[in-house]
Amino acid sequence: MAAEDTARQAASSTNGRDRGRADTIAADLSVRSPTGLSLLPGSPGSPIRKTLLGAAIVGYAWLAGGLAPLSTRALLSVLLPGAVLGVIAYGKPPERIAPPESVDVAGLSYWIICIALLFEWEASAVRDGSHGWHPSLTDLINPLIGPHPVKAAAFTIWLLSGWALVRR
Amino acid sequence: MVSTRAETIIGFVVIIGALIILEILGRHKNNRIPAVGEWLGYVMRPRSGRALILLGWLWLGWHYFAR
Repeated sequence: MAAEDTARQAASSTNGRDRGRADTIAADLSVRSPTGLSLLPGSPGSPIRKTLLGAAIVGYAWLAGGLAPLSTRALLSVLLPGAVLGVIAYGKPPERIAPPESVDVAGLSYWIICIALLFEWEASAVRDGSHGWHPSLTDLINPLIGPHPVKAAAFTIWLLSGWALVRR
Repeated sequence: MVSTRAETIIGFVVIIGALIILEILGRHKNNRIPAVGEWLGYVMRPRSGRALILLGWLWLGWHYFAR
């Protein structure tokens, strides 16, 4: 984290020498691994590495999508990527997309209103017992992601969204 | 006569549609509405916000894939 802060400080500087230093540190952060060795062949961002990573993610999602609900294996299939991303997010964060310094409060309020409405609508269905005449979003989505390929696709999207969050 | 089930589904469709419209508007430049990536990035600036959003993501996975 300290190296990342230094890189960010150098990047914000107007000094050209510091900017060069920031580029070097950023490159170092993106390549370095704790052991100095990489599990995947090819340089970072190479087509081979991307293909292998993609295949590993889709393969994992396919296996996880086929597990029986409410089983220990299904729980572990969710907790494992959560633990891996948690370690990456706090232990060895990737080069992050710079967050904005501020967001427009009025613009953000539209999001908050819609999300609050979604939670309220969902809560009203759950409160009523989520019967067929007033189903919750969960009970509407679960049958849609029932087939194995659809569930695997949804799992892949969930994994990729987790990685997108870590990069933010 | 619209059934209560249909009303509930229409409600979800309208709200999710509104969220999609907000995202489309947020991706246009010179717009006050932030895109989802922008406001999530802003919320995740402090470590606590980052932990909260990642826990929400984990909960979503558990809710739909483990139970």
